[in-house]
Amino acid sequence: MILYDYILSPDAYKVRLMAALAGVKLNLRAVDVHPGREHESEPLRALNPAGSIPILLDGDLILTESAAMLVYLARLEAPTWLGDDNAANAARVQQWLAFSRRLTDHLGGARATEMLSEPGDLPALQRAGTLDLRELEAALTERRILGQTFLASDRPTVADIACFPYVALAPDGGVSLDPYPSIRLWTRAIRMLPGFIEMPGIHRLHELKPEPLSTETPETV
Amino acid sequence: MPVEMHRDWIPVALSADLPAATVVPAHTPSGILALWRSASGKLTALADRCPHRGMRLSYGFVRGEALSCIYHGWSYGRNGQCQRIPAHPDLAPPAAIKAANYAAEERNGVIWIAQEEPETPPPALEGFKPLRSITVGADAELIAGSRDVRMRLAGIDALLLIVGTGGSETVAHVMVDAAASEVECVAASRAAEGWRRDCERLGRKDLAS
Repeated sequence: MILYDYILSPDAYKVRLMAALAGVKLNLRAVDVHPGREHESEPLRALNPAGSIPILLDGDLILTESAAMLVYLARLEAPTWLGDDNAANAARVQQWLAFSRRLTDHLGGARATEMLSEPGDLPALQRAGTLDLRELEAALTERRILGQTFLASDRPTVADIACFPYVALAPDGGVSLDPYPSIRLWTRAIRMLPGFIEMPGIHRLHELKPEPLSTETPETV
Repeated sequence: MPVEMHRDWIPVALSADLPAATVVPAHTPSGILALWRSASGKLTALADRCPHRGMRLSYGFVRGEALSCIYHGWSYGRNGQCQRIPAHPDLAPPAAIKAANYAAEERNGVIWIAQEEPETPPPALEGFKPLRSITVGADAELIAGSRDVRMRLAGIDALLLIVGTGGSETVAHVMVDAAASEVECVAASRAAEGWRRDCERLGRKDLAS
């Protein structure tokens, strides 16, 4: 399975993260998005006319939407991550997969504008992203009242992975996460999952590892 | 905020939002604090600024009984004193490397801080239980004259602890009737969203009962 990947792309990270959690080995092909704009090159347009990253290839199957890639990886190797054990949960998963598109547009748009100098109306994107975060916070607060930690089921699903990266990276777009206690606990629960991997801007929980011994070679301050 | 707030308890978070071995940013009228709970459950409020390079300590992590900065791992004890500098493991950090600390106490599921330890404990708020903290994009004076608000949310008796956090942002710690069921709590949480929309739409609304 080949993933056309970019280290700073939250959508590509979703797929790497899901693969790591599901135990799927990906063959990563690094794409020179910046400054090379290789994703818009003819060889990659031939795979994905939209010119977006990531692209997942498995035999004849070509996927260009990250939500579809998450479902594919889960269905192959970790079906409990589909969260489709009953009708309501299956629909909840779809609800949040669709919602994740709004996160990409708004918080992702703010991040691309603020950090990567892409064109965009930053204040409007930040306002829209804040409304998305409020909606997510309200939903996660209701889940907590009912004793639940994750979005769609009593366990993590592809819905959580689809929404997690752009939320965690909201500060890159100048949108604070300070006002959202339930989002904070949810992102922590995801970062505690066995097999969790990092991307630039989303670090692991250092406290899960013991304090380095003073006899070890210190890192540079 | 009036000057007398300096000797008063200010509600900054709900206990349930700060599990053991975590840190959160707590917005107060006089700035942001790094509010953290040690692995053994002890509560501490420090200035949200690492004395080393100014990184926010609330971005850091709690290991054992110390808060560590995410930037270079300098760790701080409950009194704010730097305990350890990982790049110089054999150095005893000088006493001058210290983050300001504040009084912090929790009562009935609400965490309160004060710049100086007040003579009396924070209020018990008997008959209520914490529901959620919600941030409103409106001035506290306009919402409620910075006073706590008694109201009904989806028919549930509610008490909102209102804290202006500077500029046009206000935090409301929403308490509901201690006898409210899960279903009633969900309804009250949704009604709090509507209350926020009202506050932001109108800028001012007399919600006190």
